[in-house]
Amino acid sequence: MIAGTVPSTIEAPVDETVLGTATPWLVIVWNDPVNLQNYVVMVFRKLFGYSLEKATKLMLEVHHDGKSVVAHGTREKAEIDVARLHAHGLWATMERDRA
Amino acid sequence: MRFQPRAKGVAVTFAAEEVEVLRSLARQLTGVLDGGVPDHGTDAVRDRLFPRAYVDPTEDRAERDFQSVVHEDLVRAKSDAAQTLIDGLDHGRPRRSGTEVVLSGVELEQWTGALNDMRLALGVAIGVTEDMDETSEEASSAGFALYDWLTYLQGELVEVVIDGFE
Repeated sequence: MIAGTVPSTIEAPVDETVLGTATPWLVIVWNDPVNLQNYVVMVFRKLFGYSLEKATKLMLEVHHDGKSVVAHGTREKAEIDVARLHAHGLWATMERDRA
Repeated sequence: MRFQPRAKGVAVTFAAEEVEVLRSLARQLTGVLDGGVPDHGTDAVRDRLFPRAYVDPTEDRAERDFQSVVHEDLVRAKSDAAQTLIDGLDHGRPRRSGTEVVLSGVELEQWTGALNDMRLALGVAIGVTEDMDETSEEASSAGFALYDWLTYLQGELVEVVIDGFE
């Protein structure tokens, strides 16, 4: 910053550890034409410990709606979940929960 | 290809040419995986194997950090799975009808993962779509026949994994 200029408003950096779960991140799995339905159910059960019913419901949401929120949490947790989903070949992304 | 249930898994017998096809695809996959941190938008197959984590373009820096932290582990996990598949074929038991590979536990899961990655790579390369007309000329090509065969194999193995959950 050039000396002598003063920003009219100063934005404090967002401290996500303070905000914590107040602004969670959403882990989203997107539909794709390759992944098998039973494989996606298997991955959800294995990675998140979901019941057959819950894993099937999420898989069908992905299939019919094009995407589904499969997990949420802090940025760090969401990154770990996304990496684990990528390791299993699922098309997963994360975004801030703006709801 | 023939499946026989085993106490904690499955025995699959592959014909000689099926062994060669699987081995070749697994080697090709290893080659595709090996290419450094992905430069998204330059290679559709690698984009699918290594998707972006962040949708929001203002998170590009977080995306780069994410890729730099996870990419190496991701490549290692996928390469290990492909190698497990190759090793399984190499150490298969010779049978009159081909090679018998007995799969259970971690090995079985690694096969389902490697087959999934092979299908992702092949699926992007040949342009598989959700509402594909299976009677079209495109869908009857050799690439699609191979893709369907991999789909059948993976689907059967996933059922065996799921049986193990119950």
